[in-house]
Amino acid sequence: MGTPTTDELEKLEKQSLVEAPHEDFERPAESFVPGPYYAAAEEVLAELEEGVPAHVAGVKASSKGLDFSVDRRDFMRLFTVATAATAAACVRRPVEKAVPYVHQPIDQLPGVPTFYSSTCGSCAASCGIVVKTREGRPIKLEGNPEHPVNQGALCGLGQAQLQALYHPERLKAPMQRHGQRLDPIQWDDVYNILGEAVKKTQKIGIFTGGTTGHRHEFFREALERLGAPKTALYTWEPNSLWSSTARAHEIAFGKAVIPRVDIKHADLLVGIGSDCLEVGFSPVAAAKSLSAFRAYYNGKTGRFVQFETNLSMTGSNADKRWVIAPGSEMQVALLLVRALYENASSNKSGLARKIAESLLRKHQAELDRAYGTLNIPKAEFEALAAEMLQGGAALLVGGSSMFSQDATKLQLVGILGNLLIGSYEKFLFIDRGWMKPPVISGDLERFLADAPQLDIIFVIDSDPVFTVPPSWGLRAALEKIPTVVSIQAFPADTDRLAHFALPAHHALESWGDEEPVEGFWSIRQPVIRPTTDSRQAEDMLLWILATSGKNLPYADYHAYLYKKWEVVQQFTGNLSVVYDMFFKAVLRRGFIGKLMVQSLSAQLKNFAAELQELRVMPTGLQLLSPLDHRFHDGRGAHLPVLQETGDAVTTVTWDTWAAINPNTMTKLGLKRNQLVVLSTAAGKLTVPVYPLPGLHPDVIVCPRGNGRDDERSTISYNAGLNPLVLFPKAQDPLSKEPVTAGEAVQLTATAEWFRLAALQKHHDIANRKDIVKKIDLPSLKHAKKKNLDQVPDLFPKLEESEYRWGMAIDLDKCTGCGACVAACSIENNVPQVGREQVILGREMTWIRIDRYFYGDVNSPEVSFQPVNCQHCNHAPCEAVCPVFATTHDPEGLNAMTYNRCVGTRYCANACPYKVRRFNWWTHKWGDMGKRAQDRNPRAMNPDVTVRTRGVMEKCSLCVGRLRDAKHVAKETGRKIPDGGVQTACQQTCPSNAIVFGDLHDTESRVSRARQDPRAYLMLGGDPENGHYGLKTLPNVSYLSEVVRYGSHQPEHGQPHNQ
Amino acid sequence: MQKGKPLNKQPLLLLLILFFAAGCQCEKKKEGLIRGWWMWTPGGHSDDGNDSKLVSGYHPDQPIPFSHKLHAGDRKIDCEYCHSAARRSTVAGIPSLNTCVGCHKIVNTDAEPIKKLNEHFKNNEPFPWTLVHKLPEYVRFSHKVHVLAKDAQGQSRLKCQTCHGDVEKMTTVSQEKSLLMGWCVDCHSTIKEPATPFKKATTWAPITCNTCHY
Repeated sequence: MGTPTTDELEKLEKQSLVEAPHEDFERPAESFVPGPYYAAAEEVLAELEEGVPAHVAGVKASSKGLDFSVDRRDFMRLFTVATAATAAACVRRPVEKAVPYVHQPIDQLPGVPTFYSSTCGSCAASCGIVVKTREGRPIKLEGNPEHPVNQGALCGLGQAQLQALYHPERLKAPMQRHGQRLDPIQWDDVYNILGEAVKKTQKIGIFTGGTTGHRHEFFREALERLGAPKTALYTWEPNSLWSSTARAHEIAFGKAVIPRVDIKHADLLVGIGSDCLEVGFSPVAAAKSLSAFRAYYNGKTGRFVQFETNLSMTGSNADKRWVIAPGSEMQVALLLVRALYENASSNKSGLARKIAESLLRKHQAELDRAYGTLNIPKAEFEALAAEMLQGGAALLVGGSSMFSQDATKLQLVGILGNLLIGSYEKFLFIDRGWMKPPVISGDLERFLADAPQLDIIFVIDSDPVFTVPPSWGLRAALEKIPTVVSIQAFPADTDRLAHFALPAHHALESWGDEEPVEGFWSIRQPVIRPTTDSRQAEDMLLWILATSGKNLPYADYHAYLYKKWEVVQQFTGNLSVVYDMFFKAVLRRGFIGKLMVQSLSAQLKNFAAELQELRVMPTGLQLLSPLDHRFHDGRGAHLPVLQETGDAVTTVTWDTWAAINPNTMTKLGLKRNQLVVLSTAAGKLTVPVYPLPGLHPDVIVCPRGNGRDDERSTISYNAGLNPLVLFPKAQDPLSKEPVTAGEAVQLTATAEWFRLAALQKHHDIANRKDIVKKIDLPSLKHAKKKNLDQVPDLFPKLEESEYRWGMAIDLDKCTGCGACVAACSIENNVPQVGREQVILGREMTWIRIDRYFYGDVNSPEVSFQPVNCQHCNHAPCEAVCPVFATTHDPEGLNAMTYNRCVGTRYCANACPYKVRRFNWWTHKWGDMGKRAQDRNPRAMNPDVTVRTRGVMEKCSLCVGRLRDAKHVAKETGRKIPDGGVQTACQQTCPSNAIVFGDLHDTESRVSRARQDPRAYLMLGGDPENGHYGLKTLPNVSYLSEVVRYGSHQPEHGQPHNQ
Repeated sequence: MQKGKPLNKQPLLLLLILFFAAGCQCEKKKEGLIRGWWMWTPGGHSDDGNDSKLVSGYHPDQPIPFSHKLHAGDRKIDCEYCHSAARRSTVAGIPSLNTCVGCHKIVNTDAEPIKKLNEHFKNNEPFPWTLVHKLPEYVRFSHKVHVLAKDAQGQSRLKCQTCHGDVEKMTTVSQEKSLLMGWCVDCHSTIKEPATPFKKATTWAPITCNTCHY
């Protein structure tokens, strides 16, 4: 049978409900004004739910603490222990030692944080960070607000670097291989052995990850000193968008550059498989600029149209989304170019028109057919092209779901499209500060060809054995090299076959620099002394060079950078100061230079020859393995905070899934969580399936990142699978990058089940109304200012106070990336609980991101809604607490006093927003490595109480930060200014979706957001028509989503309570 | 653990009741061993709070016999000369050894404790002092705001002695006040807060739970 529509489902659900008590107490059914009813995918697909009990479906009920049967002897034992413990507890109190400094450093004061600026090392985007340290320990990472790349924001991966720094799985000491075993070795011995080894041969290579700074230059210098050619440096990034875009620009403009995208002032953005918000080039920068681009102001707003086969996070934020067949992105791009060509005035972009003309003539017949196969009428393309040509528009093509044989060709068509619209130098900059590609295209291929001749290979901060499809034979190639030296911070698959596994510094312990945009430098400095016996990779090379008698004239990498940055001083024109002062000033600020200085002055070449052949569109089920938006290629998969954030669109944590269109699942007779065998020419993989609306029916999406099968890794071990085993060796002919999208796949169902730990249904409030609201542009134009606080009720008036704290969350801006979840968890010492506990619904995140689908299963609208404690002025939770552990603060905060809480959980029951979290276990302070959820005390924020078992907790609106700001205000005799205090989620939000401030101040940003025509309170009814919902009067308000295409149809969401 | 018959919970329950009863008893008398345990349980503070015997009067031995009486009393050295973090940080800060040695490389260098001090300084070896005034982990307290605050009459600055007792008269520092919540609230609910351009004058300092507990 077909999948039911939302309406049908509501009927079904109504029938199945004997009574719906919660429906009636709000208001009489007939007087209810319909708001849209949002259905979670699982609800739409209720019938796809498997009915297998939890313990069969891969969850073993935790034996710990669930068995209460005790025999007599155990009782006696317990009794004795209890008595002893009682006696021990009578000791006055634990004796605590206070150890002062011997020499107090001038920049350190106990209890007062010190901030250092640095550069994030998680990806090549090079966001500037400010590291908050307390007593010498970093405790929080924040975006550097002055840094032009990320403008103060940080993604989840960047936030989670704090967990990475103190991670128990980090390699602790240098190891040397003896047979199958890796044995510890002294650093001196490492240098002596390798120093001797490099003396004997000149066939030395370095394989490393992408960077834009001086690091590659240093490696080349070291190689040259060792007698090896400079070309023996091989760079590789699994995000091959860098490679394909750089290669395409090399073909088109003669220089390998990446356009710097800034669409702030554009009117329309068209994406073809773009993943700019997830991985892309610089996800934080993209989110910042997209958020400004879409901001609704005076009837003007940007629109985002996306064509894609899978449902990516970027696509789910599009205003209009076209689902296209896998492998057809090239056709779509060409059809768009055709429409642009036909609509554009002919006097502009001469050569581009010529290229387009020749291409369109060559592929005319194919393109004519494509309208039919794509099922998108020609008129749609025409309309879109007309819209693109009207105002400022940009075209973004390619992303990790489209790393196919066409990847570079697609980029070329993208260049063509952008030239026809004229968006270069308006929104895509290559002439005013282009982005440097962090890798060289085709290095992987070159390495495989050169590997048999190499004697020594240094693999530095890159794990090719895991991140390259195994069919490429990286493992075999490395195994044949006589000496493999793997320099990694974390256990990697590469160091399991290495002869030397050497621990490298984490980015927060290293020196370094990046040049993300030509002419703009960002510096990285160590913010803590090394936490393990690790060394910086560059310093290791310097030592090896020194022991082999070929030393470079630098004491360490810092000295090298210090020397190299003289050029930076000259370039940036800061010649009036002494160099040392310049360098220190840069360290203090974190960066130097401007984004728009360098000019490429490139000439467009005729690249039509590269696009002569078009790939035949594949048919049948196709497999895609995009990068995971949380941990990219797996570089963050060992970080529990990221694992537990959950994927944006599926909300699955801790696992790998195969997402399939629900209709396809029905056709194949599959149910949710059923294990299926995916088999391709390269291999087989057994994965659980997850029904995901919005996918093309012929697509199976299996994201990568998880599945590192390493016994040294206790956190990512057993979490998920590596879908790269399914891809046979195939490459994009132009960029030579591996193909990880569009592989024909066979699907065989098994009778087994594996429960995926998906978050969405856990704190389910979707049966209520007024959760997510949408408003279309025509209604928005006439909408009036709101006053959400005028609610008639019988409650006593609120106490007068100096401040009233409030928050406003803009659903139109929220992209669902989950950076706020990571930031909150780290700021507030929120534990991660592990997969089993997540399945039991016991995740602890204070802010969650709910994902709702709406409308057609094949092409749904997607909404993301961050939900934290709403800090209700009439809070249902406060009324039910028997011990006054949760009380109301006159400043509008719903305060939670942990030491009063006795764990009745009445409050969690009473909370209509389901934001309260109960500590079912004490998540130990011991070694984080022992269990996934154990935490390292060094990574804790000392300003927030660490909760123990039996205590309820929830969002406090970062009351610790508020307290600090108040103290400063008191000291200086001023009021806290607007923006003077930021919550952790607000601070890190890459799309500025969260605003926090004082509601008494009518001019504050949050007050204005609360009066905005789009403002509403969650579960707050429709105040304009006299319906006030639950009347909880939250201090957290929401701004409804804007529907930019067509009108919003509330009839989809007929309430189901009549 | 061997699995057997379900536990007979009655004896445990009885024990628990007895235990609580004993605790309550001691609460009244403000002495006895169980009082110590009682202090750490929620709501276990006494109402007047000022002179709970086991809570106050704690005076552990320190690695060297540092005398506050000598320094702060006889020599009249200001508290914040050594505890300089008090006005800038949440903690008052135990002075680093170079603060001590600043004077004691000249002053009284022949005395045994000073010899030990200088030796530690030379060896770069700090002293592990025993904390006397310790708040539970779930309490957030900032020295800074209290040092800058006015006293109960709203007149002069709050003195260190208000909470720490007459330290300048103590040879070995002993905890004089109970530091229990009731004792904190006593002061917070009577103190006069002066008016500011944005706030009326009040007769209390903040006493909401999340002032200290978060």
